[in-house]
Amino acid sequence: MASSYWDSTQRRNWTYTKPELADIRKKLEDSERVLVSQYPLPDRRLLSQYFAQQLQKLGKPLSVRQQALATAQIYIRRFYTKVEIRRTNPLLVVATALYLACKMEECPQHIRLLSAEANHNWPDFGPKEPSRIGECEFALIAEMNSQLIIHHPYRSMTELQSSFPLSQEENNLAWNIINDHYLTDLPLLHAPHLIAITAMVLAVVLRPQQSTHQVHAANVANALQALSNPKAAPGANGPGGANIQIRIQKLITWLAESSADIEAIVDCTQELISLYEVWDQYNEKVCREQINRFVKGKGLEK
Amino acid sequence: MLSGYTSKKRVNERYRIIGFISSGTYGRVYKAQGRNGETREFAIKKFKPDKEGEVQYTGISQSAIREMALCTELTDPNVIHTVEIILEDKCIFIVFEYAEHDLLQIIHYHTQQSRKAIAAKAIKSILWQLLNGLLYLHRNWVMHRDLKPANIMVTKAGEVKIGDLGLARLFYKPLHSLFTGDKVVVTIWYRAPELLLGSRHYTPAVDLWAVGCIFAELLSLRPIFKGEEAKMDSKKIVPFQRNQMMKIIEVLGMPTKERWPLLTAMQEYAQLQALGSTMRSSGRTRTLKDWWQTTMQNNQYSPGQGNSPGDEGRDLLQGLLEYDPQKRLTAEQALQHPYFTAGGEADKPSKNCFGSVKIEYPHRRVSQEDNDIRTSSVPGTKRSGLPDDSLIGRPAKRLKEG
Ligand SMILES: Nc1ncnc2c1ncn2[C@@H]1O[C@H](COP(=O)(O)OP(=O)(O)O)[C@@H](O)[C@H]1O
Repeated sequence: MASSYWDSTQRRNWTYTKPELADIRKKLEDSERVLVSQYPLPDRRLLSQYFAQQLQKLGKPLSVRQQALATAQIYIRRFYTKVEIRRTNPLLVVATALYLACKMEECPQHIRLLSAEANHNWPDFGPKEPSRIGECEFALIAEMNSQLIIHHPYRSMTELQSSFPLSQEENNLAWNIINDHYLTDLPLLHAPHLIAITAMVLAVVLRPQQSTHQVHAANVANALQALSNPKAAPGANGPGGANIQIRIQKLITWLAESSADIEAIVDCTQELISLYEVWDQYNEKVCREQINRFVKGKGLEK
Repeated sequence: MLSGYTSKKRVNERYRIIGFISSGTYGRVYKAQGRNGETREFAIKKFKPDKEGEVQYTGISQSAIREMALCTELTDPNVIHTVEIILEDKCIFIVFEYAEHDLLQIIHYHTQQSRKAIAAKAIKSILWQLLNGLLYLHRNWVMHRDLKPANIMVTKAGEVKIGDLGLARLFYKPLHSLFTGDKVVVTIWYRAPELLLGSRHYTPAVDLWAVGCIFAELLSLRPIFKGEEAKMDSKKIVPFQRNQMMKIIEVLGMPTKERWPLLTAMQEYAQLQALGSTMRSSGRTRTLKDWWQTTMQNNQYSPGQGNSPGDEGRDLLQGLLEYDPQKRLTAEQALQHPYFTAGGEADKPSKNCFGSVKIEYPHRRVSQEDNDIRTSSVPGTKRSGLPDDSLIGRPAKRLKEG
């Protein structure tokens, strides 16, 4: 229900404008100048991809639901707007965020089980024992002011489909786009229903002809054009021809009727494009090494 | 972390403990006053680690996490306000606004001390405020699940506030059954019939049944369905709550499949039928009308003297104590009921349940035996066997989003 998001701590306390967010991060880095210059880190989106991958690794053997992984990603992102990452052991934060997220999303995991799994995955750098996760949980909750309820676009998307149903393949693609948006700052910038609309728009415009789950930047650019300039015969020169054109016309009508904030959707789309552009540079090993360097250098793994 | 977790806020720096109020299900509740010129009073609920004397962090229980998250999320005039939450020294302190009274105390006062019924006007105000708080919770997808007089707080100013969100849940999340391996969750006297008959699905309607029970209790000053709880046997098989169901039937009569179409699909339907036939043969079933008349007489509610809940009151109670959860009034519908809306300005529910008549209800008892919130070693009794905390008998299974 919209009213519950409207009054939520997520909207009131954890949604920023881009300049606000940049400012928060700049202040944090400024307070740790030496540390920051001593230990350079990859692009935040690549780091996020690294965290997402580690969450997957941890969650898979425990069969953790996607929604809990998503909540954990948001907890990590929020936490690092409050605490300089180079002051923490990120793998401990990852494990703890998942532990906490599982409780909030009603699929709890025993702390010992999770700790054992973390130890197995990261013998040198992960949390050494359950009590470390327990302690980090206090830090995580305190930094988030106990504001742990997260509204996700998944539920919005289900609701939105009562007025604009997606085909199975569109739905899958939209679902994947929502999964991807957790790698960006979008969850701190926009309301979940807006993210859901963006994902639906992209899914319809892109048509998942390719089975790859990565969406090509070029295609997204087309989608963007279609949106901002509906008269420019969207899709006419793309695959699908007339059918897709009708579908997109319907989409545009629906958007107009739902009085969605087109500008914000365009903004979300752009964030996603640049995510897909930077994605190629992702290298797990580089991320790991850069993180390990400060963790080891500062003795944070102990 | 570099040097372990240390709290940025300290309970003792911010609050002066006046005394100890109660040992709750999970920890202890203290009365406190603000420091630094803050004169308001507070109730601080302290959660302790599960094991006594635990020196290590063991992870916070799921129900404590839920309660913390819900308390910070919710703000409504008719829901107890959470001022802040402090995590310090492996303990969690939830700081609430202080409420001098609760409905259990008030009912006690009327049965034990004044020996007079609660004024009809006061009851209307209480119910109005309670339903408004509940409407807020339900609009935000929160089910309380444990409404009872002890959990309904009343401030000095006569504001009614729903308290103890310890069992509350967001109902768009998957809800694991209340029943698996679970003993004392919802107080049985206020438990809805669909739960007694084995429904595994919680809906907000369970809270409205409880409101109905509370309404009745405010009028008659005793629990309307005061059953005895059947305990779980050693195999952790949840028993049919025969006695509680019987108490309900004694007042409302048997539920019928005509009024409640899904009745025959309930897990305990056979048990119910058996119970029904024994009760019929001994002629022990009545209707709510009988209960109502007796209560009006006993407690001397009379329309002539302007002190009566009226026929509208009876109709509202009937709508809340509706067997079929799908037909039961919602909080929104209840608030639009003629009981609240009919009549002139003078009949409208007041925001102060004490109104102009000032009854001197006794203050909440505060004991001095323990007022060191940080070192107290008296354990709280743990909420026993919440399935989601123990994880017993619930193999991790893949739940696909959908
Ligand atoms: N805000 C409050 N103001 C005054 N007393 C309170 C308040 N909250 C709780 N209490 C007291 O503490 C007792 C236990 O609190 P409660 O929240 O019901 O804990 P539990 O879930 O452990 O039963 C209540 O019955 C009441 O006496």
